[in-house]
Amino acid sequence: MSDSTAVLTGGRVSGRVGALAAARRFRLGGGSAYLYLLPSLVFLALFTFYPIGFSAYLSLFRWNVLNPEKVFVGLENYLHLWQEPLFWLVLRNNLFYALGTIPMTMALGLFLAVLVNQKLGAARNIYRVALFYPTMVPMVAAAMLWVWIFNPGIGLFNYYTAFLGIPRIEWLYDRYWALPAIIIMSIWKNFGYFMLIYLAALQGIPAELHEAASIEGAGAWRRFWRITFPLLMPATLFVFVVAIISSFQVFDQVFVMTQGGPADQTNVLTFYIYQHAFRFWDIGMGATLTTIFICLLLVLIVLVFRYVGRRVYYEAD
Amino acid sequence: MRTWIRRPRLDRLATHLVLALVCLVTVTPYLWLLSTSLKFPKEVFTPTPQWIPWPVNLGNYAEVFDRAPFGVFLVNTVIVVTGILAVQLVTITLAGYVFARRRFRGAGLLFGLFLVQMMIPIHATFLPNFLTLQSLDLLNTRVAMMLPFFASGYGTFLLRQAFRQIPRDLEDAAVIDGCGGLRFLWHVLVPLARPTLVAFALISLVSHWNDYLWPLIVTDTPDVRTLTIGLGMFVQQESGADWTLLMAATAFVTAPLMVIFLVFQRKFIESFMFSGLKG
Repeated sequence: MSDSTAVLTGGRVSGRVGALAAARRFRLGGGSAYLYLLPSLVFLALFTFYPIGFSAYLSLFRWNVLNPEKVFVGLENYLHLWQEPLFWLVLRNNLFYALGTIPMTMALGLFLAVLVNQKLGAARNIYRVALFYPTMVPMVAAAMLWVWIFNPGIGLFNYYTAFLGIPRIEWLYDRYWALPAIIIMSIWKNFGYFMLIYLAALQGIPAELHEAASIEGAGAWRRFWRITFPLLMPATLFVFVVAIISSFQVFDQVFVMTQGGPADQTNVLTFYIYQHAFRFWDIGMGATLTTIFICLLLVLIVLVFRYVGRRVYYEAD
Repeated sequence: MRTWIRRPRLDRLATHLVLALVCLVTVTPYLWLLSTSLKFPKEVFTPTPQWIPWPVNLGNYAEVFDRAPFGVFLVNTVIVVTGILAVQLVTITLAGYVFARRRFRGAGLLFGLFLVQMMIPIHATFLPNFLTLQSLDLLNTRVAMMLPFFASGYGTFLLRQAFRQIPRDLEDAAVIDGCGGLRFLWHVLVPLARPTLVAFALISLVSHWNDYLWPLIVTDTPDVRTLTIGLGMFVQQESGADWTLLMAATAFVTAPLMVIFLVFQRKFIESFMFSGLKG
């Protein structure tokens, strides 16, 4: 029995074995457990699980401005989307956005975390703040700011990249460069958080491991790939899952910077659903897209845990 | 490799150089925002970027306040984020406690439901949720902006981990003394889990301060709107006109969090650092 027990019981310890058993029994009889969960479960049911079922149900109906009365149409909405080129373009844009942001934010986060984790004295704090502060900027504000930076005529971006020999680009007005522009600003906004996650994980790696490897003659490069990187796998898995989920949430940037344009080249799932629901008033189609979105997310996450997750425990054990 | 190890001083210098360079790149956009917000409209159109605004024009900020009720937006934002947090702290504490300390039928399945919520953000479910709030007749209220976030799978998960690290003996002892259940939770566990609660609070405040999509679709009038929505509307209303005004509005929307962050940077950075790993 620990000291804390004696403190809490004020030294009253007589007959404690019997009382303890009673206490355990009281605690384990969990009738009240459900009561404690009730507040959370009510909100979870109403705003996470009911919506899943509700949108799956609505996806089977034609329900829009022209058909204000719901008409059951089976899988017609899904078939329609299958044949809709814009739907595939939207999925492609989501994929490009994910491929453009996820590897880069993860690599930058890891690289900078390794650098910041060195003995840097007082400057370290300045670096951490300067690299992390974009997380504190609301995405809408960041998007507005970058619209200004990407201004083709007098924007900062074209001005400074000219020194690197990069020709002037119309960025948000160019059908090929609008999505990359959004990707660039999203990387700026997001990598700092991943850097902090990696930094926390790095601090959990015992210094003796590196010292031992150094004595054995392993250089910094080898030590990183043989010791640091494998031990960071749980953090990498966490960051990867967060990055996937947040890459599908991309909306604010698109809404402020391009409204999906030019020519739908930056239209993404959330914005596409938003258009159907609140611009075209086509609830049936919006619900169909919502259902597809949720399935996509769940499938992706299951895949990540099956294939990456398994490796993590191998290497971390 | 060898030389790399033998010259730690040079190596450190290189690290400083790389970091300083990257920091310069990341800080540039925000400095440009502040710089532009303090200029007169004419000074914006220069062939080379003018970093120091001279003469300084503070009038942009005043004008932003004249053209849109940013004071109201600020108050609404504070109400919404603190409202969400207050309810969350109750729901996650109760749920985290039960999952950490009680054994009961269906615990695994129920915990799984909490985890699913972490994976399906409001960005996926905003349409059915909008219809729900419509049928509850709650559209265009501050409560509507808060309701979907009252339960937090993520917060529950964090607190469960924190409560688990507190010795069980403590609870046995407390129960013997007649301090079981809620009283034990409130007087013993909650104070001990304070660092986790503070970390969650900061993360919750920041993420809901920055919310855009959900408040956008459930609000219609300026009297309930938050800062981020206010900024979006301001941009549309003033579209293309005057960059100094737009940047002043943008700077104002970012200012409250940025100031608090700079003042309490250590606490913020610690909280976000361990947001991913306490599990």
